Amino acid sequence: MIKPKIVAIDDEVGFIDMLSNYFSIRGYDINVSVRGVNGIEMIKQKNPDVVLCDLKMPGIDGDEVLRLTKSMQNSPKLIFITAYDDGGKTKDRLLKLGAYAYFDKPIASLKALEDIINKAVNDN
Amino acid sequence: MGFYVLSSLIASVTLSALGIFMFIRGKSRFEIRIWGYICFGVVFWQIGSFGFATAKTKEMAFYWWQFAHIGTMLVPPLFFQFICIYLEIRKKWLQISAYAISVIFIVINFYWGRYFIGDLRLTPEKFYFIDWFNYRNPLFIIYYVLAYALLLGYSYLILARAYRVSHGIRRKQLQYLIIGTIVAWSGPIGIIISYFRTDLYVYTNLLMGIFPIIMGYAIVRHQLMDIEVIIKKTLVFTGLLAFVFVMLILPTLLIQEYILRSATWGSRIIGLIISGVVIILTMHKIESFLINVTDRYLFQKKYDYMGLLKTFTSEVLTVLKIDDLLNLTVDKLTDLVKLNSCAVLLFDNEKQQFDVRAFRNMADPSVSLVKMDSIVAFLDHTHGYILKADLTSKKIFIPKDIQVVMDKLSSELVIPMILHEKIIGILSMGKKKSDEDYTQNDLDILLPLAGTLAIAVSNAELFAELGKTQAEAAQKEKMAVIGTLSAGINHEICNPLGIARGQCEAFLLNMKDGFYNKKTSEELLLMAQLIMTKVIKETDRATAITKKLSSFAKPAKGESEMVDINKEIDEVFGLVNYELKLDKIEIEKDIDKNLPRIFVDRKQFQEVLFNLMRNAAQSISDNGRITVSAKNINEKIMINIQDTGSGIAPEKIKELFNPFFTTKEPGKGTGLGLFIVRQVVEKNGGRIYVKNTKVGEGTTFTIELPVLDCNGIKV
Repeated sequence: MIKPKIVAIDDEVGFIDMLSNYFSIRGYDINVSVRGVNGIEMIKQKNPDVVLCDLKMPGIDGDEVLRLTKSMQNSPKLIFITAYDDGGKTKDRLLKLGAYAYFDKPIASLKALEDIINKAVNDN
Repeated sequence: MGFYVLSSLIASVTLSALGIFMFIRGKSRFEIRIWGYICFGVVFWQIGSFGFATAKTKEMAFYWWQFAHIGTMLVPPLFFQFICIYLEIRKKWLQISAYAISVIFIVINFYWGRYFIGDLRLTPEKFYFIDWFNYRNPLFIIYYVLAYALLLGYSYLILARAYRVSHGIRRKQLQYLIIGTIVAWSGPIGIIISYFRTDLYVYTNLLMGIFPIIMGYAIVRHQLMDIEVIIKKTLVFTGLLAFVFVMLILPTLLIQEYILRSATWGSRIIGLIISGVVIILTMHKIESFLINVTDRYLFQKKYDYMGLLKTFTSEVLTVLKIDDLLNLTVDKLTDLVKLNSCAVLLFDNEKQQFDVRAFRNMADPSVSLVKMDSIVAFLDHTHGYILKADLTSKKIFIPKDIQVVMDKLSSELVIPMILHEKIIGILSMGKKKSDEDYTQNDLDILLPLAGTLAIAVSNAELFAELGKTQAEAAQKEKMAVIGTLSAGINHEICNPLGIARGQCEAFLLNMKDGFYNKKTSEELLLMAQLIMTKVIKETDRATAITKKLSSFAKPAKGESEMVDINKEIDEVFGLVNYELKLDKIEIEKDIDKNLPRIFVDRKQFQEVLFNLMRNAAQSISDNGRITVSAKNINEKIMINIQDTGSGIAPEKIKELFNPFFTTKEPGKGTGLGLFIVRQVVEKNGGRIYVKNTKVGEGTTFTIELPVLDCNGIKV
């Protein structure tokens, strides 16, 4: 089974390092970016299966990333991982707009995230 | 001009004035008019004496002497009538007889003066009525025995009788009336004695002028009449007149006696000039001195009350801390009314009882009274006062339990403090140190004072309540603000936690899933070390924000200190930063380098900045800038908080600082932020206003604060 291709965008270096470390050791093709702009370039170039993305970032934020992925032909599944909590309002809005999943930081279980990523690929 | 002449002249002028005053003021009260008549009687007496002493011929002297006797004869029956009215004694026939005798003798005096007064003789320097002494004129003796010995004697007999059966205030009044009039009479009596003993010089003539005044004072002191102002004025006037006379005569006499040694026009003119200069220069000072002296020594009671009222209105009743107010009340009352003891009891709504809240020299300060207690029930029912001496004098029985409570309070007078028909407290006053009883004058001042005190107490209570409510509101608002912050705060706390948890979990899962099987233990240890360092860094980051938050959430201490504006702005930035970052708002800071520190409550100042910055941030919907600047302009610190947000409609600016006014969406603002901001700024001696705003063009709030030193004094 070919592991899904992932692009992760988050302005928190510590977090993105951790994701990179966890998924690459397990054979995933993961590319990371701490800036929204670079992240968008990366998505266009790599054409990933799944995008992991923070919501609130300087410059281009999660909303724009979502718009971009939606506009792509072979649109990757977008999973939000964010510390932004407004009682589920934003979560509902993003899911409605077509986000595949939404995780609150801190993530309760990396395993669960991994499962969702795999599920996203299989849904295709 | 001799001493006799001078005193006669002064007395006649002052007493005329006094008599006229009496008529103007005392229209409604007969006893006041009678007193006026007595003044006029003495005026006749003194004018006669003056004419007599300055007469150049024997005929003129005789004529004036007859004139003087009109006064001498009028005074005793007037005095007798006065006593009768005062004691409410009907001795109509005796009064008529007294007047009749006087009239008869006045007629005799005029038509057969030689048989009454006798003949006059020129003694070395003056006329004197020495001749009758040789004759031992029987009519003269008969008159003085009748009018002065019998009538006056009888007057004092009935006064003494009334005194013996009197009580309380009345007894004191009588005592003063008797002593006062006896002192007053010593003047005329002294003169009369000198009629019989010509070798006595008439020093007591000096007392003639003061005779009605002393008598009046004795009367006023015990409120028989309300003429203290007149008497005061007359005393001052008399003093001034005497001063002017002495000043007019003294320089001329001195010049004649010691310098020129002759009575020439020149010496008189020089004397007059000196007198004029001295009088003009010193008149005003003498007048205020006399007013001061009469106030201080003769009308001390009145003086104290003026002081009392002044102290209370200016110093005591404006105090807003309830315990200070009560202690000050007790202290000032004790000092100014000169009391042995004093206490204030206030009603405690929780305990439903009156407790002693402030006292001086109370027998039992632990007294507490409930509504069932007779004394409370009585005050509640009557809304009147309880004056022990008054009740005793009226032979009103004081119930034993009231007596016991008043003893415990060491109280002589109990006054309820009434507000809106409810007794909120009790003012208890002990005996006066002077041992005098409370008079109607006292009550006239103390009763309204207790009423005003009730208002002041209620004000102080409301103020304390308001302060509490305001502090509570401010705290609530702060908590609400923290609620609106939570997105930013949450972001800032959850991000580090996410990293810490993720790093640890990843390490454990990698281990479990066998990815580290090939690693040496040194390598694993190194990895664990790296992860732990990261975890510590991230938990520190989360801790820092919670610390900032909890420091901000703590209630203000209410104490001012010297505060560095720059530092406080940074502190607040640290708190709102995340929120602003999330909303993509830039912050610009423009603070003068050498800004003086300001003297404010640090926490409150932070709240002000925080509220304004948060408002600014909330007015910006997407991508904007907040500029905070602080400058020292003319010894005033001007802090501007400017945003590029949505602005405020001009019609809403007026309402901006009103409580519960908000333009924000429901749930986003309490409407208390700016209200509290203004209160804090004003409490710190500053002001806040919206400098310029236009819908769509942002808003600038300006805070002006005074530059104060560390004692809160303006630099």
